[in-house]
Amino acid sequence: MKESDLTGKVYDIQGFSVQDGPGIRTTVFLKGCPLRCPWCHSPESQSFAAQLSWMAMRCIGVEKCGKCLTACTKGAITSGEITKSIGIGEAIKLIHVNRLLCDDCGDCARACHPGGLSMCGADYQVDDLLKQLCRDIPFYEQSGGGVTVSGGEALSQPEFTLKLLQGLKAQGVHTALDTTGFSDYKNIDAVLPYVDLFLYDLKHMDSEQHKKAIGVPNERILENAQKIAAAGGKLQIRIPVIPSFNDSEKNIKSTGKFCKSLGKAVTLVQILPYHNMGVAKYLRICDDPKVLEAEPPSEEKIQNLKKILECFALKVTVH
Amino acid sequence: MYKFKPATERIIKMHQLIRDRVIQTDAERALITTESYKRNEHVLPMIKRPRAIYDVCANMTVRVEDFEIIVGNRAKNFCGSGVEPEWEGEGWIPSMIENGIWTIQADGLYHNPEGEELKLAISPEDVEALVSIRDYWKDRTITTTANAWQPEGYDELCKLEVCANASGAPLMMMTAGHLTPGFQKIINIGYGAIRKEALDFMDAHRNNLMGEDLNKYMFYNAASIVCDAAIIMIQRYSEACLEKAKACQDESRRDELLKMADGLLWISKNPARNFWEACQAAIMYQLFLALESKYPACSFGRFDQYTWPFLKADLEAERLTMDEAQEIVDAFFLKSNCFYGAAPEFVAQITGIGNTYQHTTVGGVDPETGEDATNPVTYMALETIGRLKLHDPTISLRVNKNTPDKLWECALETSKLVGGLPLFQNDEIIIPGLMEELGFSLVDARNYALIGCQEITGSGNDYSACNGIAPPYASIHYGVVLNMVINNGVNAFNGQECSVKKGYLYEMKSFEEVKEAFKAVARYITKAQVSINNYTEYLTTQYAPLAGLSISMEGCMESGKDATWGGCKYNSYGGTATGLATVADSLTTIKYMVFDKKLCTARELYDAVMANWEGFEDLRQQILHEVPHYGNADPYADEQMKWVCDSYYDICSECYSTRTRHFKAGLYSASDHVFQGYHTWATPDGRKTGEALADATSPAQGRDINGPTAVCTSACCYDQSKFMDGLALNIRIHPSALSRDDGVEKLRDMTKTYLNNGGMEIQYNVVSTETMRAAQADPQSYRDLVVRIAGYSAYFVELNADCQNDIIRRTENTL
Ligand code: SF4
Ligand code: SF4
Repeated sequence: MKESDLTGKVYDIQGFSVQDGPGIRTTVFLKGCPLRCPWCHSPESQSFAAQLSWMAMRCIGVEKCGKCLTACTKGAITSGEITKSIGIGEAIKLIHVNRLLCDDCGDCARACHPGGLSMCGADYQVDDLLKQLCRDIPFYEQSGGGVTVSGGEALSQPEFTLKLLQGLKAQGVHTALDTTGFSDYKNIDAVLPYVDLFLYDLKHMDSEQHKKAIGVPNERILENAQKIAAAGGKLQIRIPVIPSFNDSEKNIKSTGKFCKSLGKAVTLVQILPYHNMGVAKYLRICDDPKVLEAEPPSEEKIQNLKKILECFALKVTVH
Repeated sequence: MYKFKPATERIIKMHQLIRDRVIQTDAERALITTESYKRNEHVLPMIKRPRAIYDVCANMTVRVEDFEIIVGNRAKNFCGSGVEPEWEGEGWIPSMIENGIWTIQADGLYHNPEGEELKLAISPEDVEALVSIRDYWKDRTITTTANAWQPEGYDELCKLEVCANASGAPLMMMTAGHLTPGFQKIINIGYGAIRKEALDFMDAHRNNLMGEDLNKYMFYNAASIVCDAAIIMIQRYSEACLEKAKACQDESRRDELLKMADGLLWISKNPARNFWEACQAAIMYQLFLALESKYPACSFGRFDQYTWPFLKADLEAERLTMDEAQEIVDAFFLKSNCFYGAAPEFVAQITGIGNTYQHTTVGGVDPETGEDATNPVTYMALETIGRLKLHDPTISLRVNKNTPDKLWECALETSKLVGGLPLFQNDEIIIPGLMEELGFSLVDARNYALIGCQEITGSGNDYSACNGIAPPYASIHYGVVLNMVINNGVNAFNGQECSVKKGYLYEMKSFEEVKEAFKAVARYITKAQVSINNYTEYLTTQYAPLAGLSISMEGCMESGKDATWGGCKYNSYGGTATGLATVADSLTTIKYMVFDKKLCTARELYDAVMANWEGFEDLRQQILHEVPHYGNADPYADEQMKWVCDSYYDICSECYSTRTRHFKAGLYSASDHVFQGYHTWATPDGRKTGEALADATSPAQGRDINGPTAVCTSACCYDQSKFMDGLALNIRIHPSALSRDDGVEKLRDMTKTYLNNGGMEIQYNVVSTETMRAAQADPQSYRDLVVRIAGYSAYFVELNADCQNDIIRRTENTL
């Protein structure tokens, strides 16, 4: 395979992204993740394959269109109930996707112009993606921003991510890699020279708890963070605060302690309070989402955790 | 982070009164003017008009409210409105009452219908008085004269409904200010000296009027009368303050009133001595201009630059504190909010309800040195707008590479509070643009200001007549032009035929042919409209010279020539085309679907558009979702936007009048894109009949899906510096973008990048959809909510539902 033919699965590219690292950035979201966090707010990022996504508000109804009904040869699409569409404000007959019969072939999405059905995840060649990301270089330069490669877990597409980061650095673009840290260190080692900043998730300091909730223990994640720090990488630690999972003072204390132990490598600790806006996204790709539904943590609680972290002489922000 | 401070009690009170105002119209000005015109029935307009304004200034009610530190009223009542009979006879209100649309309420006044956005009223006596002058004015208004005869071809233009000229509507309703009067001159020289200059000429030429001297003599005569008018008006305000002081129990207020009386008496003839006098003199002149001619939309120009020397001296002499100065600035802008004339619902909606178009410019560079000239008044103006959430007057902030970070921060914090304000104007593009396009000197170019919505003008030296010499305005409805292009010259919306016919879309062999057809029709229509404009220009010189304006404009007193005759140092006029991105996207659609990808035939596309997409929904959806659109940094789509803008510029370059060679191209639309949309047939980009057209240079609503940096990139696809009539790019930013301190920094950096890359103007609407929906459901609780649509802002709840929905629909740039 020629190098330029190397493709990666991308499910979103977001311009004027201002919450994922310094300055004005473009964030590119790669598909596929080895972890399964129950609170995940981008469930469409989990699977490595392209998936059929259904957005009812864009559908114009089978009376006016119905093209997907004939496009699907698997019999997975049937016409559904009459519903008042919030998208077009009229009562129309929507469709129903039988996920058991659907094999994500995408035929229906190609037939659907309004985008009610679309494929989440598209193959990009590195060069094409680079061209698109480099368009905003003047904005990056003015603001001290750049490109953030996020996921899913970008390191699960190691070659593509490496080539992408190399390409960006060759253009002088500041790079950030948003990662779970759950990867072979050799992948991290390979990208390290091309990553200006790691946005690094720490979910729980207790490996048992970590495994119970997410399916994998945390040792490798912690070790990788230490190795990055030792190799001179810069880390911005991100702690998703999930009610009754990792929001105990004890856990936050030990997270703080761990961050401190990484020394100067840690430039910032970000608290990302849990929110439940992922639910709508689940419904686009499956019928019965297994998603954590909890009350978002109170402002008071978050401020308290922030204080605890600050005791370790860390710079902390809340997002 | 920049923090706004609370305003003083009396400022808050005045603000509430203005917000809750019922604009009461009275007959005072109308009656005085009528009497004056009767006395001067056969005197030439050049002299008759100044005499009428003198009579108004000498006889109208002058008011001083208890809470006021800056005075001036346009009519008998606080925030009231008068009638200009020389233009509109008895005005539009009496017929509203005769037709039972306005009804009498418990307060004994007639009110406009409940539910109209603006609250208006009139007393029965005033109605009677207005009706009494109806017969006199029937055949005597300027509008009557304008309507009595027109050049051939006007009829065709009206019938087509492709610009503001329409059958049955007046050809000329008023003169447009659309310029910046010489406030500096009024403040720094005063009416006394100007009057003397006029009288000196008259004395020297008594019984010796040879050649040009006659014209000059007429002009100076008019000039001396208007100076007398201004002087007597200001002196009457001085007397009113004195009266008020006599009756005042509160000692400190009494002293204040006495000081005001003294200051007013002084500035009635002399140059201002301090900051308060400078501000009050500017208000008095603005008021005077509003009384002189119906709605001149004169802008305040570089307020911070011409007032700062006075404040600086006051501060140095410890005559004034910064807080006192801030209160004066608050009062200044609140006062300018009181000058709104009662307008019928539809006019108010098109022009922006409550928008007085007294655009104020702050920031920018020093004209002599070119150094950044930010000063404390720059901040004070933004502070007032931010802390009082004032949407009017429109504020432009001129920025350049040396604009201080603190000012950027203050300005963007203002944007957070008052959607769309300030407008950011780029010195680095506009200064060279004025020199290149209009022959401005470097010093005068550096002194530019903004007017109206966002048009560019000189400071007190430029008869700029942006958007035409006299309303109705020089805006070409580009959506209608496009329809006539693909439909053999027929406007499908009304069936009227244009004399330029280029066949049907399905007869055109190439995309080039489509573009050529477009340019031919656009040229014909634009030139037809400008021809009518030139005719109104002729009418203006004969029937509506502007002596009151001319006395302050550089060049007029020097040359003895009225501004309308070309007396100003710089002369130009201009117009705009509306629906630019709609047309660009439509051209892209034709190119992509018919010629490049051959996804449908020209006949199919034509049929679909002519059927208003009925039965062609799938094709429409394909166009909406597959064809590239302007605003996404996609060169395929941006190329057509560039062509649309550049070809409009070329067409404008072919237009001129006797006064000036420069007909400037502008790219702005006020909120007219919504109303034009009502009368524009479906367009090939998938827009349906009646839907809004794209606004100014912004992407078509909801078609920009790659975020604001992509919009900024697309917007630089053509050379903006040619468009010296001004342009507007509106970007809506979700408040969450700015919720953290560095959000404001990032927005600043985005703006800087855009401006560095050739952007001329940008403005932000920082509002949330939720807030706006809530405001639609409960307007009363959201009366403060201010949004900006294409170059001016308005209270959101005062807009009609379609305008509201249009704002909501714009792509939200969430983070
Ligand atoms: S093709 Fe798309 S728009 Fe048409 S019915 Fe199916 S989902 Fe709806
Ligand atoms: S993705 Fe394929 S199998 Fe699934 S619904 Fe669409 S056409 Fe049918």
